[in-house]
Amino acid sequence: MNTNSNVYTVIYTTLIVVVVASLLAFVAMKLGPAQQANAKAETLRQMMSAAQIKPAEELYAMSNADILQLYADTIAEAYTIGADGQPNGSLSVEKGKIELIDKLKPQNKAILAGAAVTLPVYVFQSGMKVIPIYGAGLWGPVWGYVAFQPDGRTIAGAFFDHESETPGLGAKIKDESWFREKFVGKTVLWSESPAFRLEKNAEAEGSVNAVDAITGATMTSKGLNEALNVWFKAYEKHFNREEE
Amino acid sequence: MEYISLFVKSIFVDNMIFAYFLGMCSYLAVSKNVKTANGLGLAVIFVLLCTLPINYLLNKFVLQAGALRWLGESFADVDLSFLSFILFIAVIAAFVQLVEMIVEKYLPSLYASLGIFLPLIAVNCAILGASLFMQQKEFASVGEAEVYALGSGIGWYLAIVALAAIREKLSYSNIPAPLKGTGIAFITVGLMGMAFMIFMGIQL
Amino acid sequence: MAQKLKDTILNPILKGNPITVLVLGICSSLAVTVQLKGALVMALSVIAVTGLSSFVCSLLRNTIPNRVRIIVQLVVVAMMVILVDQILKAGEGTYAIDKQLSVYIGLIITNCIVMGRIEAFALGNKPIPSLLDGLANGAGYGLILVIVAFFRELLGSGTLFGFQVLPASYVPNNLVILPPFALILLGCIIWAHRAYDKSLQEK
Repeated sequence: MNTNSNVYTVIYTTLIVVVVASLLAFVAMKLGPAQQANAKAETLRQMMSAAQIKPAEELYAMSNADILQLYADTIAEAYTIGADGQPNGSLSVEKGKIELIDKLKPQNKAILAGAAVTLPVYVFQSGMKVIPIYGAGLWGPVWGYVAFQPDGRTIAGAFFDHESETPGLGAKIKDESWFREKFVGKTVLWSESPAFRLEKNAEAEGSVNAVDAITGATMTSKGLNEALNVWFKAYEKHFNREEE
Repeated sequence: MEYISLFVKSIFVDNMIFAYFLGMCSYLAVSKNVKTANGLGLAVIFVLLCTLPINYLLNKFVLQAGALRWLGESFADVDLSFLSFILFIAVIAAFVQLVEMIVEKYLPSLYASLGIFLPLIAVNCAILGASLFMQQKEFASVGEAEVYALGSGIGWYLAIVALAAIREKLSYSNIPAPLKGTGIAFITVGLMGMAFMIFMGIQL
Repeated sequence: MAQKLKDTILNPILKGNPITVLVLGICSSLAVTVQLKGALVMALSVIAVTGLSSFVCSLLRNTIPNRVRIIVQLVVVAMMVILVDQILKAGEGTYAIDKQLSVYIGLIITNCIVMGRIEAFALGNKPIPSLLDGLANGAGYGLILVIVAFFRELLGSGTLFGFQVLPASYVPNNLVILPPFALILLGCIIWAHRAYDKSLQEK
């Protein structure tokens, strides 16, 4: 068989494409549910870490089933809000039917474009409210969860994650607990702009809404700062409304 | 103008070699003299210019979440982004094969001096990296993607020609034998990389 | 025959080392050597992928049309890496590992060593020698990666595998964590290697 003839080349390439595409599609289909279950449990771990339900190390040692149970036991309610800050839908919190808004990228796009948004608020039995944040880091997206005390201004905890920031530098936002602990007790000053500052040497001024950026991770810190402020602004009407 | 700032930014601030350290293998191996560096640099620009718009359109109409909406509303939930790597690489490999055939036929001396690094353009992290960054940056039009491709290519080209020029000059210096050639090239690139860090974070 | 096999295995570790001699696999050696753990994970992945891809491509070597040779090789490599990634993502215990690896997945597919060895060896040799060549090149790559990561983690964070080794009073050297330093370190490793093996020195 002439492996260089046109006919052979075409048949061969078509065959390879079909085989590879079917194999990948089959695997993706079969493994899809397991992957989504893992992703969901991961999101719950991060939210509960921010809400100080348990320390992150403990949450990561628990199995998916235990995480789902823990969430169902500690959550009070979850709902979505629109651009005006008013609740406009609810998210199920029953074990086995937990609903999350975890596709943050389209919501981020909508916030930036000023279009209609569907933003989640997760309220735990302790009164803490957890909201997501999302933005662009250096190499890829950064996101996370911030938990507010019932007063809607004091941060109770936070957890951050990223897709491809530099290990040892930008990745510190996730890997180092001292970074997220800096956020505990800080206040979001809704009336100021920016409402929160993650900037170089910001803590030296003694402001209640400032956290130092990570040395050597300027771009990641900048991206995270923007993510925080863009999303805080989107939730402003909701939290300010609650204060009254 | 948007295009100009994107262009300048992708040459210097987002320089594939010095900001992201992509495309290092061919960069270090083919920078021994300016002539071959010139040939490889131009080949990289060409491949980028051809593959980026195609990958942009592929991303927009096939790969993105909800991209298949034009096939019918029932396809609006389909997210094929896990196929990005393989599709982008296939497009890039196809063009590299094309370039290889052209260079072999019309520029045989260049073909001989590039050796294995011509087919290796297909795995040049800079070219795949450009497509992946394009996916993240979400350009508004094919035009913007093409400007980005041109800028990235020129940035890579400048980097490799600059290094080749330095290496040609270095070959006249009194470098210890074990360090000659590849060794000193690595150290030189490290120093150039440190110098380029001044561009990091510049807002244009 | 035994000598030839022995050469195939030993050559890539030192004399024909992919990073320091063949100048392949550089991009990833800059990005993943900030910590020893990452370097080890990447090294093991590259050993597996290079070995298996060389093996598969060698099996197919007489059927691949010349015109689409590069595409077929890449598709084979990409498919295997994606499969491993998807499988790791689905396992409950392996999900966390996959999240760490996902940064590297792209770097593995485009790793010049994988394709470089397929082009240079697997397409012209039998499957078993190709498998060995791939594994050995991966190992040579891994060796350099671990050496670079050792210094970068030690001097850049004072730790090794996450364990504090240097006293807490050591101020981490931030330059070491940045990619340019890895290049300089590689230059020094090449210097040492060629001082030891004079046949590798360039004129």
